[in-house]
Amino acid sequence: MKQAKTSGRRLVASSLFALALIVAACADDDADAPPGLDDSEDAVDDVDDADDADDDVDVADDGDDEVRLGILGQCEGPFGGFHEDTVAGVALALVNHAGATVPSDDTALDGWEGAEVNGTPIELVGVGCGDDTPDRILAEVRQLVEQNDANVVIGPLSGDEGIAVAEYALQNPDVTFLSGIAGSQEPTLEVQAPNFFRFHGEGAIWNAGLGDILHNQEGWETAAVIADDYSFGHTSTAGFVAEFCGVGGEVTSRVFPPLGTTDYSSYIAQLPDPDEVDGYFWAVGGTGTQAALEAFVDAKGDLTGDQHAGNLFFNPDLAQALGPDIAGAYVGGFASPPGDVQMPAIDEYLASADETWDSLPTGIAGGERADASAAASFGFMYGYYSAGVALVDGLAETGGDPSPEPLQSALGGLSVELPYGDIALDDNRSGIVDVFISRLTVDDESGEVVQETVALIPEVDQTFGGTFGADTPAPSRDFPPCEERDLPWVGNAIPVEDGVPQQ
Amino acid sequence: MTRQLRSPTTIAFVAVVALLVVLPAIGSSFFVNFIMTRTLILGLAAATIVFLSAYGGMVSLAQLMLFGTAGFMFGNAVLEASPRGLNLGWAPWTAVVFALAVATAIAFLLGALSSRTTGIYFLMLTLVYAVIGYNVFAQVVPISGPSGITRITPPPPITQATHLYYAALLLSIGGYVVLKLVARTPFGLALQGVRDDPVRMASLGFRVPLHRALAFTLAGFIAGVAGLLNVWWNGQIDPASIGISPTLVLLIVAVIGGISHLEGAWLGAFVYVAANSYLRALPFVDRIGITEDRFNTVIGALVLLIMVLSPEGLSGVIQRLSNEGRRRFSRFSSRDGTGRVDTSGDDAGESPVVMIDSSTSPPTEERK
Amino acid sequence: MSPNAIMSSDREQVLRLRSIVMAFGRLFAVNGVDLDVAKGEHLAILGPNGAGKTTLFNVISGDLTPTRGTVMIKGVDCTSLPSRRRPRFGMARTYQKARSFPGLSVEDNLYLAVVGKRGRHLSLWRSGTDRSWREQARAAAETVWLTEELATPVSDLSHGQKRQLEIGMAVATDPDILLLDEPASGLSRGEREWLIELLSDLGADITLLLIEHDMDVALRVVDRVMVMADGQQIAAGTPSEIEHDPVVLQTYLGTGASA
Repeated sequence: MKQAKTSGRRLVASSLFALALIVAACADDDADAPPGLDDSEDAVDDVDDADDADDDVDVADDGDDEVRLGILGQCEGPFGGFHEDTVAGVALALVNHAGATVPSDDTALDGWEGAEVNGTPIELVGVGCGDDTPDRILAEVRQLVEQNDANVVIGPLSGDEGIAVAEYALQNPDVTFLSGIAGSQEPTLEVQAPNFFRFHGEGAIWNAGLGDILHNQEGWETAAVIADDYSFGHTSTAGFVAEFCGVGGEVTSRVFPPLGTTDYSSYIAQLPDPDEVDGYFWAVGGTGTQAALEAFVDAKGDLTGDQHAGNLFFNPDLAQALGPDIAGAYVGGFASPPGDVQMPAIDEYLASADETWDSLPTGIAGGERADASAAASFGFMYGYYSAGVALVDGLAETGGDPSPEPLQSALGGLSVELPYGDIALDDNRSGIVDVFISRLTVDDESGEVVQETVALIPEVDQTFGGTFGADTPAPSRDFPPCEERDLPWVGNAIPVEDGVPQQ
Repeated sequence: MTRQLRSPTTIAFVAVVALLVVLPAIGSSFFVNFIMTRTLILGLAAATIVFLSAYGGMVSLAQLMLFGTAGFMFGNAVLEASPRGLNLGWAPWTAVVFALAVATAIAFLLGALSSRTTGIYFLMLTLVYAVIGYNVFAQVVPISGPSGITRITPPPPITQATHLYYAALLLSIGGYVVLKLVARTPFGLALQGVRDDPVRMASLGFRVPLHRALAFTLAGFIAGVAGLLNVWWNGQIDPASIGISPTLVLLIVAVIGGISHLEGAWLGAFVYVAANSYLRALPFVDRIGITEDRFNTVIGALVLLIMVLSPEGLSGVIQRLSNEGRRRFSRFSSRDGTGRVDTSGDDAGESPVVMIDSSTSPPTEERK
Repeated sequence: MSPNAIMSSDREQVLRLRSIVMAFGRLFAVNGVDLDVAKGEHLAILGPNGAGKTTLFNVISGDLTPTRGTVMIKGVDCTSLPSRRRPRFGMARTYQKARSFPGLSVEDNLYLAVVGKRGRHLSLWRSGTDRSWREQARAAAETVWLTEELATPVSDLSHGQKRQLEIGMAVATDPDILLLDEPASGLSRGEREWLIELLSDLGADITLLLIEHDMDVALRVVDRVMVMADGQQIAAGTPSEIEHDPVVLQTYLGTGASA
């Protein structure tokens, strides 16, 4: 009896499972066969070609008279607060350049309506929800491409995700990818997917100019580096080391605390004392920036701003905890410059954001609501904006044809006019960008520490004059080595005074 | 024997397998190559948790770590000129053997180390294994990247996405059958004895720690097989792939399906993967607050709901429905109306195990 | 022939305990017990609760290693031999609270008992030997009248059936030293009769050690009795001697005669 009962139970279980399968499978049937994975099947399997021919024609004819755009954001993980920013960036680009309107004035996640270039509509087919891990972003991009049938994807947001998505791009040549704001070298330098375009800089590029200024202007002969022990920390360090050593400085010590360290004292102890070294370069992110600097003050005595430089994680808010002594520190660049840089194009861009939305929940305000222009002025939203503008320009170039070949060849040759500086691509389809170097200073009037842009480094590319290439190792704890080398932009820094480049 | 072949269980099993075999012809490619392939892989890995729990009384959090270890080892061994990993450049099938050997050996070592602990202590110890495993791969960069190992492709005969689906299907069926059969062998029975009363087993002459260690090894081997499928399917693996959050996901998959039913592992995997992919695509869900960023809350609520409905997960729910149906049926069919239908399913600890065992017992003729 | 005569005779000594002390912290559960048991002898250990009977059993079966003293089984010093090695000496035991495997069927429980003694613990194949062991398990089921329940999960058995199974698992291994810890507890009158019959029918070669509260059962199946209190032996002799021993009546039977 027991046996019979069990069997019946299983029969029911199996039938339910089977039913669920059929329902799910059929529900999905109307979606077109996704590109990419199945192409390899066609190539291998000649016999199937006849059968598949119809489908292929479908994809080519019906599929490609519109842009089915997928966006890869992050709704969880360390950058989860920037989810709205990513979609807002793309939406604003389409509002400004493709005649789109947004249905909601307090969230960007509802997408847009009426985006069109040369009669080709741009539809949002989905927003991927990453959590800063490669596995998750792969699942999300596969869903956008293979289920939602996206033919253009904008994103992802962070470095490791960028590598995974670029590798995916390599296997799916019919989908066009535009990086959101992924700041690792590898997606373009190493993976070199012909359909992966990056209209922004990366971790190393954003620190270009610091080494030159600190060595040649501030007189640092030696420096110590402390950076997060993961790819973005390594890449930021690589940019600084390549240039600082390139112009004749010497990096005497490199310390890499693991990501997520809370007590930095043992790592600070490994750094040389302030009288043993001319300065320190910090690439410690998140809550670690302040914690590490506080540990430094505890262990080494007072902080002297002139003796420090940091990547984009240095900001005026540090003064709240550390006092005005932090003033004097140099800060590397990001996709967008500090707020003091004034140009008509920038004002126009920021104003357009405020016209589009009353307010947005944005990562720049810790996930709380803020003016859309505040979000737009920060690199995350701006990176996605740049990708959106590039897509529109690319489509304009092809006369609205979104099919892979013309669109990708158009994108490769673009020089996109953007509010914070035009961006063209190098041979690996990575942005050649202008980098703004700034400094924390005490404002004469208010007495508060502010961020003041001091120099603009024009046309920085990711190879650093041959230091980095497809064949060189990825930036790591000991790569690149400290050696002299020629960097194309050294000596070309354009001074910026009161927010205006002097040229 | 013939009676067993024609039993409803076998028929249902064959029907599900047949459906899965023809699925690529009727389902969309996303459904087959993403949803179902991932379901089969996750299910196979979760089945090792269920196996250890249902037959050995050991709830392991180390299975995903072993799964990942096999993936990392395969990537390191097979790649030749990749910018990441050791680039040993071995033949693909040598790499497969190597990866499984490493995962199995580690499983044996860890299994031996934890073979004298049970219950919450075993759970905590395997959590420690998971954390150590994550940290090893995160810190020892040469074997894990930097930034993960990418561009991993399946070995030769598996050249298309559907091949991979069939490989996952074949290995899932294989894993299921092996784990089921093992439960009926002297080793498997002894393992269940160890689960029920280790002291008694020792006084009967069994080496209790050895049984635990070997069960953990077998589970580690199968988790390794699932890990290989995973890197073939995903193309890459990085330390975050075996972090604490995916480790818990695998446990959740096992719990959704019902931690005492082997087939529940695949059911749980299907629910998890499908919910992840389809639930947020439903119209209007964002109107009731289910947006992407709240999605984990939804999964959490789903798990909670299933657990409240049945501590034995979905298979427990199905079991109850089936019992209910059977009771109604038996009211009509006069005889055997007072069967013990009510007793099973109420006790989370014992009765599900009973179900597994009785179904695989030798047919009654043999006993007489 | 008196029990003492048996003891001192030339019959083979299967069990010899010398000054066994088992201490849990400062509690001496067993405090200096000597015991000799000859082959084929049936011995009951009586005593009030907490007398140290079960602890002594655990020392003999290897579940506990004594704090002091030696345990010789068939002439071999087994004092610190783990319990899992003892079935090879032909030793099998039951527990006061039935310890079978509730998740397995009656047959599988009995089968595990056979496998435990015979080996092939790790086998992943069911072989011919295996079939003969199954036969042995089914034979044991018949001995303890559980043939009807072979396929029943142990969790579904009645209390009495669990006790039957417990004894069946001990018998299944074909032991020559059988340790039974209160086999009659919780049994109905009819089941007790059955138990007495079963124990009386044990082969002459089987050495039986029995802990039992039920004097009726105990005294009908054994030929020698040892009475314990506070971890020590307070009396020994034939059942009839014990029944009339004033010390025993005072400490044990006087208060628990109705048990």
